[in-house]
Amino acid sequence: MASTVGSLGAAEAVLTPFAVAFTRPSPERLDVTIHPDNLLTAIRALVDESWGYLSAIIGIDRPAQPPAEGELQAEGAVEVLYLFCSGAAVVTLRINLPYSQAVIPTISGIAPTAMLYEWELREMLGVDVVGLRVTGHLILADEWPEGVYPLRKSFTGFNQAATVVKGA
Amino acid sequence: MNLPLHPILVLLIFPGGLFLIASGLVYQWADRKLVARFQNRIGPRFIQPLADTIKLLAKEEIMPEGVHKGLFITLPIIALAAALTAGLYVPLFGFQPASSFRGDLILALYALSVLTLAMGLAGANTISSFSLVGATRTLTQLFSYEAPFLLSLLGPAIAAGTWQISEINTYAGQNLWLMIAQPIGFVVAMVGLMGKLELPPFDAPEAETEIVAGAMTEYSGRGYALFRLGKDVELVIGLTLVSAFYLGGLGNPLEFVIKTLALLLVLALLQTAFARLRIDQTVGLWWRAGALLAIIQLIAIVLGRNLGSIF
Amino acid sequence: MTTDTNKFVIPIGPQHPALKEPANFEFWVDGEIVTGASVRLGYVHRGIEKGAEARTWTQNLYLMERICGICSHVHATAYTLGVEKLAGVAAPPRANAIRQLMGELERIHSHMLWLGVAAHEGGFDSLFMYSWRDRETVMDLLEKISGNKVHYSANLLGGVKFDITPELAAEIHKGLDFLEERNKFYLKVITTDETFIGRTRGIGTMTTEKAEFLGAIGPTARASGIARDIRVDAPYLIYDQFPVKVMTHTSGDLHGRFIVRINETFESIRVIREILDHLPGGELTTRVPRRIPAGEAVSRVEAPRGELLYFVASNGSEKPERVKVRTPSLCNWSTVLSLAIGLKLADMPMLLSGIDPCFSCNDRSVGLKSANQDPQIWSWEKLRQYGIEYYR
Repeated sequence: MASTVGSLGAAEAVLTPFAVAFTRPSPERLDVTIHPDNLLTAIRALVDESWGYLSAIIGIDRPAQPPAEGELQAEGAVEVLYLFCSGAAVVTLRINLPYSQAVIPTISGIAPTAMLYEWELREMLGVDVVGLRVTGHLILADEWPEGVYPLRKSFTGFNQAATVVKGA
Repeated sequence: MNLPLHPILVLLIFPGGLFLIASGLVYQWADRKLVARFQNRIGPRFIQPLADTIKLLAKEEIMPEGVHKGLFITLPIIALAAALTAGLYVPLFGFQPASSFRGDLILALYALSVLTLAMGLAGANTISSFSLVGATRTLTQLFSYEAPFLLSLLGPAIAAGTWQISEINTYAGQNLWLMIAQPIGFVVAMVGLMGKLELPPFDAPEAETEIVAGAMTEYSGRGYALFRLGKDVELVIGLTLVSAFYLGGLGNPLEFVIKTLALLLVLALLQTAFARLRIDQTVGLWWRAGALLAIIQLIAIVLGRNLGSIF
Repeated sequence: MTTDTNKFVIPIGPQHPALKEPANFEFWVDGEIVTGASVRLGYVHRGIEKGAEARTWTQNLYLMERICGICSHVHATAYTLGVEKLAGVAAPPRANAIRQLMGELERIHSHMLWLGVAAHEGGFDSLFMYSWRDRETVMDLLEKISGNKVHYSANLLGGVKFDITPELAAEIHKGLDFLEERNKFYLKVITTDETFIGRTRGIGTMTTEKAEFLGAIGPTARASGIARDIRVDAPYLIYDQFPVKVMTHTSGDLHGRFIVRINETFESIRVIREILDHLPGGELTTRVPRRIPAGEAVSRVEAPRGELLYFVASNGSEKPERVKVRTPSLCNWSTVLSLAIGLKLADMPMLLSGIDPCFSCNDRSVGLKSANQDPQIWSWEKLRQYGIEYYR
């Protein structure tokens, strides 16, 4: 476990200039919230340091809560998590993207494996990935309608009651 | 043994025509069954090849887009006809060939090549990429195994001093088995036969995991059935030729059955023992090893004959 | 991934004899030489991640197991470990030991399945038939433990369903002896058969640096000399008490991938024996609350194909907020696309199967209806015998 602590410390040192906040959800994890503008530089810093490898890119839809009386409807957001692993250590880079600014730069130039995850992110959650060379659908059907993102919470299937699990 | 039959019967029913096709199906079954047993599978039932053929003949033949219609229809017929023609010159079932003349060995071999050529053309006739790659490989393989296979059958011909199949057969029956006298030639002939029949490990032209069914991919129904029958007939003729030349000749039906089945057993064993060769490996093997070995054997035979006449 | 209409394209898939599951690969060839490649996935996308958000924590366990028919246990294990982490409970040691034991049995089954498939892609059908015949042994063992050959459903949130009795342990020992002997034979075959070596040695060679750059994982990476194995790097279950050795190979080619996987099978056999001999006592299950406290958990396990990552987020309700599954096959696609260029078309099926993409697994039926519509339950033995008789 000593090496895990050590590598998390090293990652923390690399990421400190970009971090908005650090948390340690569990002993082997380091959670770093960063600003979307710093994403590329932060990831490049990790890669330049040869810190671990990109393990996954995870998108989570965080829709806004229904507004209280008299308040304006807040905007929902997509949270994007970049998971880097090194041994047992897991570093999460977390960025928060409001629906209206759901744009990230591609990191596939730095980490080629990111291509498929970014493609999926664009397709399933509607995050625009700037610079991603691929076009078209990766997993959804060719005739899938534009602007419908299945992993958004607002998507509950076509012509079906909201409670029914997406079947089509 | 001579057959006291009318030439038309000989041509259509026995031993050519129907009987040849029927025995082709039987040998196909025997081959599949043996391979299956070697691989610890159960294998097809006896009736399976016939059932397959009837099913294919009854099925709709789909004409793909972009083919030359005339060629698409006639190529399977040419293929089967070529294989059946070759059957007239070989001592099928141990009987004297139905037809025979000086140099019929060359004719029989080239009739068999016409079959392969027809398959290659059939593949090249379509616009399917699997078929085109398959056709290229079929023809590439044709050019690589043909020379060594021919050379390996030339050995017995030179030893017998004739290019007539029936006479070589008689010579082989009266002398020491050529398999022992010309072992290199026998090995080359066996492996050459496998290449000719596109059996594993030389099945790159129809490697299903790469190009589906190779040149045959676009064929269905009747055309496919005819090509398959042609291949089955080729199997019987190939086995007959090699066993007539190298296994001490074929004098009667019993000898024919025993010798060809023994040869088939070896073929089936070889089929199961290897991984598929890539087409470049096949070509390399044939030209570097096959042709060279066959030439060495030939030189040895010629030297042996000439030295024998000197002393 | 550029497109050029003048290229001669060989499509492999969605329906193709080389693929047991739909995917589409396009190889641009110049004669027999591959000059480019592209991939299109998702023909059988089932929306499981979305579906998980509409199901309870327990229901999801069975859903996750159905992601893959070959490595069903490892998916369920990864999910359970993630949920247990969130709930703050730990499964009893005996349950973890049984999970690990089944996981390793599954690895044997998966590697033998792969050996057969890869051999078939290379046109070596005898090896295919033999390895699949012997693989039945390990599947029978799994069936004896759980009653199922494919989806074992051994995991529960907080434990396992099935116990290993001493009689069962003896049977597993017997099966393992047989499997070890067979795999020694296969190792001998793949290292001595000339045609097989001709098809695998020096094909698709990937250097350590390239594997690292392309993000290869699992046996594919280990065959290129990257000693990365979650079982060792971040021990889960009781891999800290029953450790495994990381099997690596330095050649980086297809041949190395065969050797690594067979060596891993030996290692699995060794670990299973050890677990069977020192099976911890105690309970099989512990209580897990119906509502999982809010939070996020990352759970990583080593599936037969490489690192499997589950990200589980809870919002404190009965259903997960988000379950993200990062399967190992996904990481290795880029290695195929980049290694393909310059190789022969004939090498493509083997190269594809070399990373062991998750192909569908065989299934079986237990209920058949006879002509008079009486449901008739057939035992596995009877069904198998019926099949053998039918085709004889």
